[in-house]
Amino acid sequence: MIFPQTLLLRPQTCWLQRLTMMEIAIKFILNSKSVEVAVPSHWTLLRLLREKFGLTGTKEGCGIGECGACTVLLDEMPVNACLILVPKVEGRKVETVEGLGSRKSLHPLQKSFIDHGAIQCGFCTPGILMSSKALLEKNPQPTREEVKEAISGHLCRCTGYHQIIEAIKKASEV
Amino acid sequence: MVPPFDYKIPNTIGEACDLLWQAEGKARIIAGGTDLVIGLRNGNHSPHWLIDITRIEELREIEEMDGALSIGAAVTHSEISSSSLVKKYGKVLSDAASEIGSPQIRNVGTIGGNIVNASPAADTLPPLMVLNATGKVVSKEGERQVPLSQLFKGPYKTTLKPHELLVQIIFAKLSPEVRSSFVRLARRDAMAIARMSVAIVLQTEKRKHRIEDICISVGSVTPTPQRMSEAEAFLRGKSSDEEVLQKASLKISETMILGSGVRPSTPYKKPVVEALFKRAMRKALEE
Repeated sequence: MIFPQTLLLRPQTCWLQRLTMMEIAIKFILNSKSVEVAVPSHWTLLRLLREKFGLTGTKEGCGIGECGACTVLLDEMPVNACLILVPKVEGRKVETVEGLGSRKSLHPLQKSFIDHGAIQCGFCTPGILMSSKALLEKNPQPTREEVKEAISGHLCRCTGYHQIIEAIKKASEV
Repeated sequence: MVPPFDYKIPNTIGEACDLLWQAEGKARIIAGGTDLVIGLRNGNHSPHWLIDITRIEELREIEEMDGALSIGAAVTHSEISSSSLVKKYGKVLSDAASEIGSPQIRNVGTIGGNIVNASPAADTLPPLMVLNATGKVVSKEGERQVPLSQLFKGPYKTTLKPHELLVQIIFAKLSPEVRSSFVRLARRDAMAIARMSVAIVLQTEKRKHRIEDICISVGSVTPTPQRMSEAEAFLRGKSSDEEVLQKASLKISETMILGSGVRPSTPYKKPVVEALFKRAMRKALEE
């Protein structure tokens, strides 16, 4: 074997690794529905949502909790899903952007984002929508400063944040 | 690629201690996981077990005792920053907690994790130093109270033994006339590690603005958290005018250089720590 280390670097499908992975059963509430799934214990919530549930609205921007693209609500609190190991969500409530609204019935925040040009590439949008939802539920009439604080855990490379802040403020006035 | 592990969720401190004992050093405690999960992925640790302590009720409580406040190790930074008890009796800590990371990080990151991760840039450490906090550490062998300063061995290293668990942080309540401030310097206002921070608690004589007592701790400039005793001794009994603050700021930078040596960052950090200290003093005095 010239490079034995490469055995360990292959993707998840390697049989050697499947033998060593410990799967556990997790039961929790996802977008208001009770779900149960078997998953390796070292998976993050981000990976679980995207790969087991196909909910790809939640994005991986950095994988280390520094960009907010993976933000979901855990028991109504914004958290970085890339840092939450799956066993942590047992018995708890998870909400993703897919649960926010649908094409036929947009959430007021989604409509406001569209109306105010707060979406360009859209990559940061799901995360910011979730933080905004949590903000407006706790504080229905936030000041501009409170809006900025609520989205301070999100990076947007496109908009310069101004339209995003406008969209959230205007949505709160509805 | 995160190495495989077993995920344990004890319901009591006793269960957690039993697990730690059985693990024989091969387990790691996980609370919020904001530092640990990244460390696991980087291969910094490969524990056989992860022991999640966030479902243990006692570790999630902020308790008011007769002269002191006790904060459970698994209390989150969000909870500390919004706690009316901490805002009233330990404002320097709630101020610091409210500036950590981002809302998402504060919602899961805990004070115990911040302490045990022992980063030289940890934001709760300077406030806890000026609050003279102690940590309650338990294990199957018993419990001990450790002054916070004795919990650290070096950057990212604590004096905790592998079977020990930090359960509470306790400090004496600050009385209403005591002033405090926390200032933080970083590349951005949010989501940026502290380049430097200053925590101050001080008591002044009402009319003359004379400093009766003072505690100062500067973050991100020494390998382990420490109090700036030279500057403190110099300031006690003096009036808090600009000349005095200027002289004191020089003692701060002297102590920093003594503790960390002259480094490539010193030409930057020396004038900046002096200015940041003066800023923190003025902020505390204005209160």
